[in-house]
Amino acid sequence: MKSLVAASVGGLSLLAVAIIDRPDPIATPALTSPLATSASFDAPLSDPPMRPSAPMRRGLGHPVLAPAPTAIANAALTDVVKKTCAGCHSDQRKQGNLSLQGFDMTNINGSPELAEKMIGKLRAGMMPPPGRPKPGGDTLNVLAGTLERMMDARYALNPNPGTRTFQRLNRAEYERSVKDLLGVDIKAESWLPLDTKSANFDNIADVQTPSATLLDSYLDAASEISRLAVGDPKASVSTSSYRIARLASQVDPVEGAPAGTRGGTSVMHTFPADGQYVFTITLHAIPTGQLFGSAAPFDEKIEISVNGERMSVLDVDRGMSQADPNGMEIKTKPISVRAGPQRITAAFVRTFEGPVNDNIAPIGHSIADTQIGSQAGITTQSHVQMFAVTGPFNPTGVSDTPSRRRIFSCRPLAPAEARPCAEKIMTRLGAQAYRRPLAPNDVKGLLTFYDAGAKDGGFELGIRTALEALLASPHFIFRVEEMPALAKPGSSVAVSGIDLASRLSFFVWGAPPDSQLVSLGRRGLLTDTTVLVAQTKRMLADKRSSALSTRFAAQWLRLSDIEKVHPDALQYPDFREQLSSDMVQETQMFFDHLVRENRSFLELYTADWTYVNEDLAKHYGIPGVVGTNFRRVNYPANSGRVGIFGHGSVLTLTSHANRTSPVLRGKWVMEVLMGTPPPPPPPNVPDLEKTGESKEGRLLTTRERMEEHRANPSCRSCHQFIDPIGLSMDNFDVNGQWRIRENGTALDTRGDFYDGTKISSTLDLQKALLKRPTPLVRNFTQNLMAYALGRRVEYYDHPAVRKIEAQVKANNYRMQDFIVGVVKSDAFRLKKVMEQADSGTRGVSAPGVR
Amino acid sequence: MYFLSGKAMPRRQFLQNLSATIALPYLDAMIPTGRGSRILANKAPRLVAIEMVHGAAGCNELGSTLNLWSPAAAGKQFDLSPTAMSSLENYRDYLTIISNTDVREAEPSSPNEIGGDHFRSSATFLTQAHARQTEGSDVRVGTSLDQLYAKRFGQDTPIPSMQLCIENVDQAGGCAYGYACVYTDSISWSSPTEPLPVIRDPRVAFEKLFGVGGTSAERAERRRTRRSILDFVSGEMSSLKVNLGPDDRQRLDKYLEDIREVERRIQRVEARNQSGDPRELPEAPAGVPDSFAEHVKLMFDIQALAFAADITRVFSFKMGRDGSSRTYPESGTDKPFHPASHHGGTERGVKDFNMINKYHVSMLPYFLDKLKSIQESDGNMLDKTMIIYGSPMGDSNLHNHRRCPLILLGKAEGQLAGNLHIRAPDGTPMANAMLSMMHTLGLNDQTKFGDATGALNLNSYA
Repeated sequence: MKSLVAASVGGLSLLAVAIIDRPDPIATPALTSPLATSASFDAPLSDPPMRPSAPMRRGLGHPVLAPAPTAIANAALTDVVKKTCAGCHSDQRKQGNLSLQGFDMTNINGSPELAEKMIGKLRAGMMPPPGRPKPGGDTLNVLAGTLERMMDARYALNPNPGTRTFQRLNRAEYERSVKDLLGVDIKAESWLPLDTKSANFDNIADVQTPSATLLDSYLDAASEISRLAVGDPKASVSTSSYRIARLASQVDPVEGAPAGTRGGTSVMHTFPADGQYVFTITLHAIPTGQLFGSAAPFDEKIEISVNGERMSVLDVDRGMSQADPNGMEIKTKPISVRAGPQRITAAFVRTFEGPVNDNIAPIGHSIADTQIGSQAGITTQSHVQMFAVTGPFNPTGVSDTPSRRRIFSCRPLAPAEARPCAEKIMTRLGAQAYRRPLAPNDVKGLLTFYDAGAKDGGFELGIRTALEALLASPHFIFRVEEMPALAKPGSSVAVSGIDLASRLSFFVWGAPPDSQLVSLGRRGLLTDTTVLVAQTKRMLADKRSSALSTRFAAQWLRLSDIEKVHPDALQYPDFREQLSSDMVQETQMFFDHLVRENRSFLELYTADWTYVNEDLAKHYGIPGVVGTNFRRVNYPANSGRVGIFGHGSVLTLTSHANRTSPVLRGKWVMEVLMGTPPPPPPPNVPDLEKTGESKEGRLLTTRERMEEHRANPSCRSCHQFIDPIGLSMDNFDVNGQWRIRENGTALDTRGDFYDGTKISSTLDLQKALLKRPTPLVRNFTQNLMAYALGRRVEYYDHPAVRKIEAQVKANNYRMQDFIVGVVKSDAFRLKKVMEQADSGTRGVSAPGVR
Repeated sequence: MYFLSGKAMPRRQFLQNLSATIALPYLDAMIPTGRGSRILANKAPRLVAIEMVHGAAGCNELGSTLNLWSPAAAGKQFDLSPTAMSSLENYRDYLTIISNTDVREAEPSSPNEIGGDHFRSSATFLTQAHARQTEGSDVRVGTSLDQLYAKRFGQDTPIPSMQLCIENVDQAGGCAYGYACVYTDSISWSSPTEPLPVIRDPRVAFEKLFGVGGTSAERAERRRTRRSILDFVSGEMSSLKVNLGPDDRQRLDKYLEDIREVERRIQRVEARNQSGDPRELPEAPAGVPDSFAEHVKLMFDIQALAFAADITRVFSFKMGRDGSSRTYPESGTDKPFHPASHHGGTERGVKDFNMINKYHVSMLPYFLDKLKSIQESDGNMLDKTMIIYGSPMGDSNLHNHRRCPLILLGKAEGQLAGNLHIRAPDGTPMANAMLSMMHTLGLNDQTKFGDATGALNLNSYA
């Protein structure tokens, strides 16, 4: 089901929103801490750094990035800024909400945020804007380089790994943790509220605000999941519903459904007990109440199956109507099903093959509009709207399930064995859930619940109750990190080995650490750089590292936005739910390949290959691909596709339903890929929709409409950046297919990239962007860091970003080097001890003192 | 096989148990201690906003001459017998009829929008705002009356508001005429761009209000477990704090507060369970019943229960869905709802459609009986409640939005006189009446709402 709630997409605007007057939080380096505080991991450490009184080594290993550019005196650079920039960035005009009138190179150390902001704009080549005079030669590069060196040197003196509050398991992490622990597939959305996103990601600690409702949802989840996992022989009758998207094709087979079926849905459903269940199908109706698809030539049949085995065949009466006593619902007789996860499917029995000969081609057999559902001349198929399971009726018990096998590693054969067995089970599950070995007190706490449950209902109820407590425990749902009691406020301390194990595994796997990682962490070995890097490599080789594409890249590239676009059914009749999920999968597999094969990050832009299955290949016009599985293919010559710019996902998620949007596409490139989001439009800007759609009896192309729009000078200042980028991608339509015409007029995709380069295709755009890889590489690194750290990347992180950039550049920007670079960074392995808590903490005992 | 007939056992039991359970005396001890704002909030009326779609037969020319919706006389001496509201005669002291108001914001504002009335009207009902025509995620209409109220006065109850419906909704994608389905399905909007999801399954609504579990024993058992788990969690958090930095400790403190809040919610439900003679909450309903009447009654039961336990004070309840072809055989006609609403203006057609309107209104006395039987400190629940029942459409045959049905039931904490038929001057926006309703509910500083041109006195017909 499409999400209706538009996640607030906080653009990565760290450069733009730097707060100038924030006090410098790293004023006092802790030189005298007895701990290994501030020990930068930059320096190769031969011993684990946890030894007390390890000598302080700071400021090492911050290499200067570029070969030292021609030196220009500070005074001269100050002059350049004043002459070139302060005209617009004056106290009066304050363009971009910034004044450089009082800029002085010698004082810039006191305004690091300003400096980083300038570096960003200069490295992107965006300032001064097109049409404004620029100083000659490489003066601006020298300015940027000088600022960078000053900032790096400043950081070297006062390293700041940053800090954040602890994270909690978000929906995705919760699902994976439960699956790891109990082998149960759950949908966290059934209980947990939507995760708030910040800086693109759903794991940013400071927006994970506590609330009673949130806490309550974790408790609800714990209660239900413990029952699902152990089974509930006394489960009462309830209904679970699965909704089928309107845009889901009812002609394509659904993944998991038995052969010979089409459409419908197939899901893993966890049954709480052995017993009888009634399955209900609800079909779509047209607005006047008759069945959608009532004009079909014959009655269809729907097959209900459990684990592929046919349980029931239901007749769909073409004459059915909402006015019938049961409306659009069809129910099965009660069907006996065993407890545990079973694949249940409701799908149409396939009774026809091949194309339908019709006046109007059927619209992918999805429901773009219910009103066509009964018209002669259009072949429509009835469409399942909802699939529901009601039960259990007459539950008879709980038989063996995978989760029970995983939980009950021992069975008491005599009453005396019960408690030792329970202790064994809870110690094992507890260590896994808490991501660390249990302390005696932990076990004791959990066994209290076992005892209470066992007293009421025996061994199994005891285990279930203890499991509920385990899943509700803050040690499970929170990822707290220990702070050494004697840590000096303002200093930095190493993240403990056990906490580092979790940081690493949630970063690379999006899931809890395995036993090897926990063990290394517990023994303090993970703090050794060689071990840490070796573990990172091991984890990258594991298939779980696909989380980097499904969690990190999907969020960075905003792939889920595709759900918000429903291409106009009349213009894009091919579009359907399955196609959009194929597109997302394409991008994820593409990214996964880059990581797994350790290819260059730049291939994201330059690849002449991608991943497709038959449907997507047909959609793109790539011949010779048969079957539903995805495989790597090369783009055909002259396909116009290059790297990620050829992906249907990106092209669709940046479109409107009925037309492409060069503005959205340009903005996406600037914001997502370059990290330099254009400012939001000023108020009272006329909408593009307001400019006429036609002129002299001819429909205007998107470009023509935009040009009318851009005639407004207040729009032009930003759109001169945005529009040419988007226009260069305009040969791809709303759903990512190649085109050369729009509304009957030949497309004109020509434009000037903001540095003056003429671009008219995605290939040109890619080349223009890669002329300046620095902003792309830094922005990618920043996103990776934000995701890895669970906090937004701030100005004081930029020296670390540049350092990673320097490391990865040496070997042509290999993907795994980025990941290793982040893992090795101070920000990942150290944390700053807060001077004192932020406002509102008065009454909390003084930091570091207990 | 009882479950195939749709007459599932647990539901019957639920209904039977209910009447006894509702008769609980209200104990002041149920008011949680330490909540200073309660005195004010305690005076906040309960609100139920019910939408019925497709207007009424009495809203066309013929229907109004026959007084099929609004009675002939304004004021106190009105005759309900010819109207679709005749079943409310016993409750006329609680009835305020506001006739002759228009929902102009549901009308088309551009040629593209002509014909799409069914798909945008519901979004207009409680917002009195015009829906932006889109099938995408950029939906926009207005903040609804119930949500404006819940934001101000609903925060003191465990659940600020709840949204219920009868017909199956389809919230994904576009519905028809270029309108996203949320316009058709959601009457409650927490902001102009945030439609609230609607609960159709009584079981789900029940569990959200009273906790999970089929029987009261099971729920009590779960609550017991939850309380001990809360103790455990709070103990774990306290010991965790020891090893954390100040920021983390601060965040844990916030979670510890939340634990106390969850405990408070549990206590509230338990206090209610242990205070009266029939100690038990009824059996949870099994799912969606097949019969319209049974489904509506279950939803009313749940609302009455929630009011009695003061778990929430705000409900919106969508009793129909535009374009629905459901039949209501008990109404006396077996014409499907939507086709019947296009009655063609013929006497036969209008009268048949009126039977359906009448049947819909006849669901209300059941709810009014329930509310009236609940005593809370100084009065019965009906005295403390304001029920809005209306439709954003007038003459469904023409899809017009003039002279739409709108009535109030209950006294809203004694602020509505009742036994009144207010006939608004021609052209009065329904928003005017709703603005006054908000003033009645205590939102005194609300000066604008939808296309309101002013307030409308709800206690006078002069």
